[in-house]
Amino acid sequence: MAALTLYPQSERLPRGERITFNLYMVSALLLFVLMMTLGLIMRMGQGLWLNVPPDLFYRILSMHGAGMVGTMSLATTAVMWFFLRKYVTLHLWAFLANYLLFLTGALIIIGAIFIGRYAGLWTFLYPLPTHPMGMWENSAAACFMVGYLFIGVGSLLFYLDAAAGIIARYGNFGRAMGLQWLFGGTIDPDHPKTVVAGTMVVIANSLGILAGAVVLVMYLVAIAYPGFTMNALYAKNLTYWFGHMYINAAIYMGVIAVYELLARYSGRPYAISRPFLWSWAASCVFVIIVFPHHLLMDYAQPRWVSVTGQVVSYLAGFPVFLVTVWGALNNIHRSGMRWTTPARLMILSLFGWAAGIVPAILDGTIGINRVMHNTQWVPGHFHFYLLLGVLPMVLALLYHVVGSRRGAAPDSAADRIGVPVYLVGGMVFALAFLDAGHMSVARRMSSHLPAWIMNDRVGAIGASLVLLAMLYFAARIIAGLLRAPSVESAANAAA
Amino acid sequence: MSSLLRTLLLDLFIVAAGGATLHAASDGLRAFTTESARRLAIREAPRALPALRLQADDGSFIDLRDYRGRWLLVDFIYTRCQSYCSVLGGDFAQLQDRLAQPLAQGRLHLLSISFDPQHDDPARLVAYRRRFADRGHGWSAARPVDAAELATLTQAFGIKVIADGQGGYVHNASIMLVDPQGRLVDVFDAGAAGVVAGAVQQWLLR
Amino acid sequence: MSQQRHARARAAIALLTVVLLATPPLRRTLEASMTLQMLVQLPLLALLGAWLAAALPARLGTALAAWDRGGCSGLLLASVAALPWMLPRALDAAVDLPWVALVKFAGVPLLIGAPFALSWPRMGFVLRGVFCMEAVATCFRLGWLYLVAPQSLCSNYLIDDQRRLGQWLLAIGLALCVALLGKLLAGRFDTRGSGADPPDRP
Repeated sequence: MAALTLYPQSERLPRGERITFNLYMVSALLLFVLMMTLGLIMRMGQGLWLNVPPDLFYRILSMHGAGMVGTMSLATTAVMWFFLRKYVTLHLWAFLANYLLFLTGALIIIGAIFIGRYAGLWTFLYPLPTHPMGMWENSAAACFMVGYLFIGVGSLLFYLDAAAGIIARYGNFGRAMGLQWLFGGTIDPDHPKTVVAGTMVVIANSLGILAGAVVLVMYLVAIAYPGFTMNALYAKNLTYWFGHMYINAAIYMGVIAVYELLARYSGRPYAISRPFLWSWAASCVFVIIVFPHHLLMDYAQPRWVSVTGQVVSYLAGFPVFLVTVWGALNNIHRSGMRWTTPARLMILSLFGWAAGIVPAILDGTIGINRVMHNTQWVPGHFHFYLLLGVLPMVLALLYHVVGSRRGAAPDSAADRIGVPVYLVGGMVFALAFLDAGHMSVARRMSSHLPAWIMNDRVGAIGASLVLLAMLYFAARIIAGLLRAPSVESAANAAA
Repeated sequence: MSSLLRTLLLDLFIVAAGGATLHAASDGLRAFTTESARRLAIREAPRALPALRLQADDGSFIDLRDYRGRWLLVDFIYTRCQSYCSVLGGDFAQLQDRLAQPLAQGRLHLLSISFDPQHDDPARLVAYRRRFADRGHGWSAARPVDAAELATLTQAFGIKVIADGQGGYVHNASIMLVDPQGRLVDVFDAGAAGVVAGAVQQWLLR
Repeated sequence: MSQQRHARARAAIALLTVVLLATPPLRRTLEASMTLQMLVQLPLLALLGAWLAAALPARLGTALAAWDRGGCSGLLLASVAALPWMLPRALDAAVDLPWVALVKFAGVPLLIGAPFALSWPRMGFVLRGVFCMEAVATCFRLGWLYLVAPQSLCSNYLIDDQRRLGQWLLAIGLALCVALLGKLLAGRFDTRGSGADPPDRP
């Protein structure tokens, strides 16, 4: 079947596209390494292996949060683009514009944090950015908001171009998501899962960016006019809506790689099904209304909003993940899977995503969240499925692309060490956070109590391993991406 | 010239022209409301006040020019006010305390002018001052002698009065500072007597 | 041909309506509150401008098209011309100063409504999408601002009028958002203009 061709012709990138894709991924890999280094510095600072002054710590924390979320989105946007362009017309100018706007926004944010000394964290919760108590200038906070606006506009342009292409080919979003097959009818077996996932992301993240566009401008007004105040509860809800949607969209863009690639490595087709369509349609709705789960500990929130957050967290946790994991396990069970590095990374990613859901669902329970929200349990759960779930999806695609340049999937000895080191490091790192949550270690604190330091050091060791593996992956992939496609790979269209 | 280039050029021109218009319309992006524009204009170019015939609360007829040689704090009131602008009365009473020295020295005077001359006769003006615990010195109230003077008055000071739909008025309640040469030099918000006192003392020192 | 005559008739009606709106009694009615001026009078003037644009002679239309690649210039002109009208002092000035009123009655149809109507057919999906998103976001931002501003921003209008305008703007923003979402999910699109032209290589 055509779907099982390892390196299909439709994925070959013309020169302009290849250069832009490389720009995205090389930048993303370098940024990941940089952000991971910042993370390691923080863990070592908390564990007293490094002396990190508190004000610097919070600046680093702000950079790490904004940088990781932004970079994850950058990388997974390229993942979505790489596959979606096979099915609909995507324009290079939109793909490039997103990159340039992202870079501009990122530079502004870096300046706001390390020159302007903004340290209000990536969630910029009102009224903290406007009440710096002398720690940073209002202009630094304003620059931070402007940086986010640039990044949001860039994403919006990419999504609008994707929407144009999707609508031109499928008529409207409903048909692109296969909603007409939800209750019956024969599903077109060639209907790409990428299009379903991509459409869901376009819808959800456009709404999130809209929320961000509104609240960020209101922040700018509040900064320019100190007498102007806004309702903090509305501001925080909109802020979390924006941020929540942004990182979730990144996850859902990343999973496209699994849908596209797994079948090729297992050798068994991974068909589209009605449960698949249902789960993506349901998730589209759920991801939009679940954002109150970020504010469960906020006693000012109306009860019905928080309850919605909990109920939908439970509902949303299961569909896509169940269908994906069930579908994936089914796909690889006794399939004669080729255990090359891309395949290993994909299985790792599914494990990371699945296992990471468990602490997330726990944290989405109001009673638990009230006690756990301000502990390191929260970074525990999101590092679990971002570090062990989404990032491996990106790495899997990158290894796959590197393989396509030379005609065979990479699986060197170093690769085969890199993946376990990453896995072990990531598990130690994430479990250290979860254990810290269990011990009620406060999150977002630069100075830790003596009783917590052992845990921080274990986390730092885990982080070092992850960073080591990531350094290797980055070097390996960048070298592979920059190498021109070989003549044999051009002829090697079939696996 | 390709249409792309033409469009680019035209767009640059539009942005430049639009930017210039917005800049001009907002006094250099500093004043987006009429009130802030008014205050900015006054602070940048003190406005000479014309002759204005008023009737003081002791019944005598005076002119605004009679106050030349002294600093003057002016607010606009109407004695029937039941809402926010009544805070002005309290402000002036507080200012009588905070600025007692310049008031006693005769360098400063507080003047409340009514923009409702039909209703606010001298007796009502006196009652108004008493209602706000007038300390008894340095504060007088007055009303314009007729509708024409009222028009000149509101125009000269830039006061906007509109009916509030409940029988009263809403106006840009503020306290204005006139220098000894009879020029309007500064405008303050109501409800912050401390700020006004501080600013006035700065002006007096110059 | 009859389409052209139809367009000219509409333009004539539009011109007449603009003149009528400028007469004192209609002005007084529509400028009596902030809500009416911002949500009825100004949009009406823009719409009338769109009708006026429909009667533009074909030759002039083609000449303009050369300067309006992808509908950019028209959209930009309309947006830039709309900005000063978002200043509270502009609404005040339009009521108080005759020359500003003249600028409003001439400028809003000719510099906002007409350019937008001329450019819309040329705009690609992405540009239309950006415009729609910004329109919705602006409704929410202004609505929120008018609801929470501690003072009346326009000297000519009362603060409860301002609050009511804020509520209307939020409602309109929400309605627009729902309508757009509905169209994207289940609507029909003219795919000729969507997707925009391929990237230009000068």
